[in-house]
Amino acid sequence: MSVIIEIKDYSWQYMNTRQAALNDINVQVKEGMFVGIIGANGSGKTTLAYSLNGLIPGQYNGIKHGEVLIYGKEVEEYKSGELQKFTGMVFSDPEAQFTAMTVEDELVFGLENLGMSIPEIRERLEWVTELTGLETMLLKPPYELSGGQKQRVALAAVLAMTPKLLILDEPTTMLDPVSRRRVFEVLAKLKQEQNNTIIVIEHNLENLIPLADRMILLSDSRLILEDETQQFFQNMELISQEGIYPPGALQFFYELKKAGKISDTLPVTLPDASKQLKQLFN
Amino acid sequence: MSEQTTASEITADEIWEVQPGERRSVGVIHIVITALLIGIGFVVGAFGSISFPLGFGVNFFWTGIAVQQIGAVWFGGWGVLAGTIFPFFSNAIAGTPFYVSAAYIPANLVQAFLPAWVFRRFKLDPRLKSGRDYGILFLAMIVSSAFGALWSPLVVLKGFGLLTTDSLPLFIWGWFGGNVVAGLVFNFVLLKALSAVVIRTPAFVKRWWS
Amino acid sequence: MNKTLLGYVPTQSPIYAIHPFVKLFFLLIVSLFPMFVTAPEWNMLLMLVLILLMWISRVDMRTLKIYVPVAISMGSIIIISYILMSGTHPEYQLIARFAGIKVYWERVRDAIVVYFRILPMIFTMVFFLSTSRERDVIVAMRTIRLPFVVTYVFAMALRSAGMVLEDFQIVRQAEQARGFDSTGKSLAYKIRKYVNYMIPLFALSLRRSEEFTNALVARGYAFTGEASRVKRADYVLTHYSFKYFDAIFTAIISISFIALLFMRYGYDYFAIDQSILLNWLKNILM
Repeated sequence: MSVIIEIKDYSWQYMNTRQAALNDINVQVKEGMFVGIIGANGSGKTTLAYSLNGLIPGQYNGIKHGEVLIYGKEVEEYKSGELQKFTGMVFSDPEAQFTAMTVEDELVFGLENLGMSIPEIRERLEWVTELTGLETMLLKPPYELSGGQKQRVALAAVLAMTPKLLILDEPTTMLDPVSRRRVFEVLAKLKQEQNNTIIVIEHNLENLIPLADRMILLSDSRLILEDETQQFFQNMELISQEGIYPPGALQFFYELKKAGKISDTLPVTLPDASKQLKQLFN
Repeated sequence: MSEQTTASEITADEIWEVQPGERRSVGVIHIVITALLIGIGFVVGAFGSISFPLGFGVNFFWTGIAVQQIGAVWFGGWGVLAGTIFPFFSNAIAGTPFYVSAAYIPANLVQAFLPAWVFRRFKLDPRLKSGRDYGILFLAMIVSSAFGALWSPLVVLKGFGLLTTDSLPLFIWGWFGGNVVAGLVFNFVLLKALSAVVIRTPAFVKRWWS
Repeated sequence: MNKTLLGYVPTQSPIYAIHPFVKLFFLLIVSLFPMFVTAPEWNMLLMLVLILLMWISRVDMRTLKIYVPVAISMGSIIIISYILMSGTHPEYQLIARFAGIKVYWERVRDAIVVYFRILPMIFTMVFFLSTSRERDVIVAMRTIRLPFVVTYVFAMALRSAGMVLEDFQIVRQAEQARGFDSTGKSLAYKIRKYVNYMIPLFALSLRRSEEFTNALVARGYAFTGEASRVKRADYVLTHYSFKYFDAIFTAIISISFIALLFMRYGYDYFAIDQSILLNWLKNILM
């Protein structure tokens, strides 16, 4: 698998601020990987996400050091609209992403920006509405939908452009648990069926952990931990210090480990936790 | 979020001058801000047109003047564009005929343009730090509303045969007073309250288009 | 029900069979008719036609109630302007005098003419607004090949207006939840309160500008550069086809307008002197 994202000694400071939002970030992401980014509010997660799709420095003024390379090319070197052909971003507030009158217009907007023809648009529309379950909502105004439906529309609008790199910035923040699960079901389908590289910033780890290949922890503008998911969550003390609350099962086993009741690797998913618990009882 | 420098450290000249090495260009944000201003102006203007009507889109207290003039001060040509366009729609909802609304465009253009021009020409501080800032803005409001008041009743309404010569003064003073009074109520408060935030956003326009 | 710019119209309404361009064309051309017609009975007829069209389109006729105060206030202004503030004109025919105000026949006549010119213009606008969905206006604009950025700004402006109204409601509800009630308060107080609403509304819109911009850029939209010159497919137009009756309606509107001009300027038709209503009224008043 080739490396498609390469961040080297990257720092970013917004204009008129005293401190950098990101300091000395070094990350490599390979194609097809699912990466989770976590951290407390203000740790730089959104800034990192914006740096990957050209919003920074394109739409923001500031001071940049280091490099952010997407497919081997610095983000600033891409012409306007070029990077967005293969990098898609879903934001946390779906309402702030809707500018069209109907769901269909919303989904088609990005495809028209790509200069696709009508038959191509039609085909893509059919595919994405089936993937996200939006077939019956095409003529509705997006702002009249429920929170979960809105976020599915926002996701579909980006997926329709079939980006090779998909970045989601807290996509389930405003959703109830059921809607949250539905969004992650779509992401799971994407991971299984396409070879998208997916980067998700999330606070709720229950749904993220089973899908993530690697995890990144940001704290106060710095990257303090990066590893494969299983290994990442063995550093529970550090993670807890940062105010991150992993799923209940993981915390339970961490408490058992602290009490000296177990010495095994901590299970990160519910099936693993269940299996380990059964072994313990046996 | 990172600590911000205090807005009070920036002078009025620095607000309007493009600093060496500073790159400014027209972008999507300007299109968006134009659309948002038209949207706000549409709602606020329609409120004024419906609540305090004199007739034919002339109002005793036109709240839309704030969006028209403050939008232009902050966002330059984009604010002028929005300020010229939105009254067309707010008047339409309030029952002003299509072509009458269209003929008001020059008046709305001047009302939006003049405050924007004086701020850039005289390097006034949008945060209204001194009496000079208040005074010149007030003059711009008076002059621009006077033009609007003369153009609209005199050229438009008389031209369409909707008013007689004898009734013109009522409409001229109605337009003038409706704009100036509303401007006095809203413009200064909005500039004072929000300029410090606006000048730090990428949408803020130093020249005319970026 | 389908939401239009001024209310709701049932989905089964025949107006949706008409191409949006025809509705826009109707607005632009028919709004001109009263400008060339001074005989009030013709303008009254036009108003009746418009009301009939609204009824056929199954517009909720209660929408028109909103414009009753507008019509009354406009009528009042015209009366004040033309009759009460008419000045002294010895060349005109005096028909009454009260409280020092001279009422001339010519002024009364002109007031009636003006009033019945304005009303159909307003009705035309109301007809357009009450039968057009937001999407229809966009389609009409795209059909006449207005640049995409113009139609997109318009669409975003409509969207933004809706959001401002929602924000306004939320702020008011938050205040009411805290026991605030402006009923019975003075006008000055209400205006002061209104100022307090404007500040958060502006602030929210500024925040939204950044979010909208990020969303547009993230989906490849550009205002300048190569990306802005991409040929757009205009997918929305595929849902609307210009049918034979759209062509017929467009032709009828165009021919009516040309015929009106021809009769007005060729044969002095629709002029004040030709007005049966005004002549009858003159006979009664004089």
